Amino acid sequence: MSSLKLRAVRKSYGNVEVIKGVNLDIKDKEFVVFVGPSGCGKSTLLRMIAGLEPITGGDLEIGGQRMNDVDPSKRGIAMVFQSYALYPHMTVRENMGFALRFARVPKEQIAKQVNAAARILALDPLLDRYPKELSGGQRQRVAIGRAIVRQPEVFLFDEPLSNLDAELRVHMRIEIARLHKELQTTIIYVTHDQVEAMTLAQTIVVLRDGIIEQVGRPLDLYDDPANQFVAGFIGSPKMNFMATSVVASGKGSVTLELTHQGKTAITLPLTGPLPAIGDKVTLGVRPEHFELAGSGIADIALDIDVAEHLGATSYIYANTASGEQIIVEREESRHELEQSGLSVAIPATKAYLFDAAGQRLR
Amino acid sequence: MAQSALARSERINGWLFVMPALVLLGIFMVYPILWSLWMSFQVGRGMNFSFGGTANIMRLTQDPVFLRALSNTMLFLAMQVPIMLVLALFFANALNDSKLWGRGFFRTAIFLPCVTSLVAYSVIFKSIFAIDGIANQTLLVLHLIENPINWLSDPFWARVVVITAITWRWTGYNMIFYLAAMQNIDRSIYEAARIDGVPAWARFWFITVPLLKPVILFTSVISTIGTLQLFDEVNLLTQGGPSDATLTLSLYIYNLSFRFMPSFGYAATVSYVIVILVGILSLIQFIVAKDRRA
Ligand SMILES: Nc1ncnc2c1ncn2[C@@H]1O[C@H](COP(=O)(O)OP(=O)(O)OP(=O)(O)O)[C@@H](O)[C@H]1O
Ligand SMILES: [Mg+2]
Repeated sequence: MSSLKLRAVRKSYGNVEVIKGVNLDIKDKEFVVFVGPSGCGKSTLLRMIAGLEPITGGDLEIGGQRMNDVDPSKRGIAMVFQSYALYPHMTVRENMGFALRFARVPKEQIAKQVNAAARILALDPLLDRYPKELSGGQRQRVAIGRAIVRQPEVFLFDEPLSNLDAELRVHMRIEIARLHKELQTTIIYVTHDQVEAMTLAQTIVVLRDGIIEQVGRPLDLYDDPANQFVAGFIGSPKMNFMATSVVASGKGSVTLELTHQGKTAITLPLTGPLPAIGDKVTLGVRPEHFELAGSGIADIALDIDVAEHLGATSYIYANTASGEQIIVEREESRHELEQSGLSVAIPATKAYLFDAAGQRLR
Repeated sequence: MAQSALARSERINGWLFVMPALVLLGIFMVYPILWSLWMSFQVGRGMNFSFGGTANIMRLTQDPVFLRALSNTMLFLAMQVPIMLVLALFFANALNDSKLWGRGFFRTAIFLPCVTSLVAYSVIFKSIFAIDGIANQTLLVLHLIENPINWLSDPFWARVVVITAITWRWTGYNMIFYLAAMQNIDRSIYEAARIDGVPAWARFWFITVPLLKPVILFTSVISTIGTLQLFDEVNLLTQGGPSDATLTLSLYIYNLSFRFMPSFGYAATVSYVIVILVGILSLIQFIVAKDRRA
């Protein structure tokens, strides 16, 4: 019923193109998260789906119907804004029921729907308060309640949690996940917080500069990024990147030389097309994938800069001899690390390789 | 309690800074106000007057010209202020639309009258509404009237011209307040309402108007005060005529003091009528607009 289809969707402001041809299929009842750095066009794309921004080119379908020129109120959507966008002069109850008055819903029905939404969101005791008498988290719940009351097919969220403090954010995140289970509707959720994206999404859409870099399940993006941008964007702390060049290539593997690591050589298996000798490539290793020296395929010596002990794990910020910053995650023998320097090994099976254009070499 | 030297010197410095302003206020505001209050109990003509108790107040109730001026002023107030504020609100709403073409031009055009020279615009209004002026010519060409209207010598039309003139002059002024307030309203509130299917008229009536309530109250108080003191337009356009049809309280005060045999005491009494009216009307507006939920 409420699947979405975007075909070559574009958006220009004057001469500036901010959405550069987006193709995307969203299944019914799917929880999709748009992530990407600031200014990549997440909000713009969401607002185009909502009908708040005209679509410059391409087609938007919701539930099998072309919606490019349909009024926002007739698209079967509801939106929750970052700023909450509550009506300041109305109580929580009035905020939630206001729009229904114009949909010719009878009064008793409005009251019933408002009460039902309030129960889902635990807003019952707050129904007669004004927005200014609520905390940030409560306001956001009211904004979500206002969306629920309309019983839309698709929920749109634009960074709904970014005005909340860290603790509340975690709490609301869980609440939204629960809500999705309960309501069984399609949700499109915009955030630049990749933790939110990883924890909430069934499907993540990574955007950069108005184009989609990759679409996939959270773990697929994490384990199998399509390019250097996605590899760097998903995961915290970031994946480490080291500049290397190809010294030998053939028979399903490449040998690399870590350019500034005293000519350390690494051989990696590859199944796809191989790079040519002399190509500059980038080696990527996630912080938690480093192994102890001697156990992997190549040892690199690091100077420890700072160690952050988070409790269960520690992040060690270190520099290579050539000055590249490397982050290593360690769970064991952490005290010893601080005294001595650190030597780590790169695991052959968990290293990623990217060509000069940033595309993944597999 | 012992005061430190620093605190004392700060206090003295503070008083020194506000003293010039206080002295000026005292000489030019407080003293005349008290003097006029005292004057309003004086009877007599020209420079020889004596204390008359409530004589001036009794005279008010029997003075047909005063009652005429009072009813004219109230009529102007009742007609002009609502018309002007509603117009200003609609203009502001229209000009707040970022998609409107040429809105910078329209904003300036609507605001311009209130910074235009009063005399210049009175002359133009007079010529527009002259018997052979452009107003009559246009209406004749459009066959809306058979014979030219004698705008400024017909009691009804003279009032219409005065109301038109003040409205033309002050609508833009009020519009600026509304525009400023509208730009402070979070745009996503309107977007949320649009998505939720709230029609445009309801967004205006149930969102914009309530959120502008404090500004609407402010402008209505300011406009009420302005219209109660209405003087310039009537003085320049009609001098209160024809046969006192557009005589206002302020114009009557002026006439009492400077045109007729001066009757300063009585003029002061009439001006206190304006003060009391301003007080009562402002109070009513505050009570009506009071946010009972806040
Ligand atoms: N009205 C506009 N006119 C011109 N350019 C605009 C307009 N609105 C947005 N843009 C541009 O479009 C691009 C995408 O903006 P958008 O708001 O979608 O970014 P975003 O991904 O939501 O970023 P953030 O995470 O900071 O919210 C930005 O480069 C922005 O400067
Ligand atoms: Mg945004």
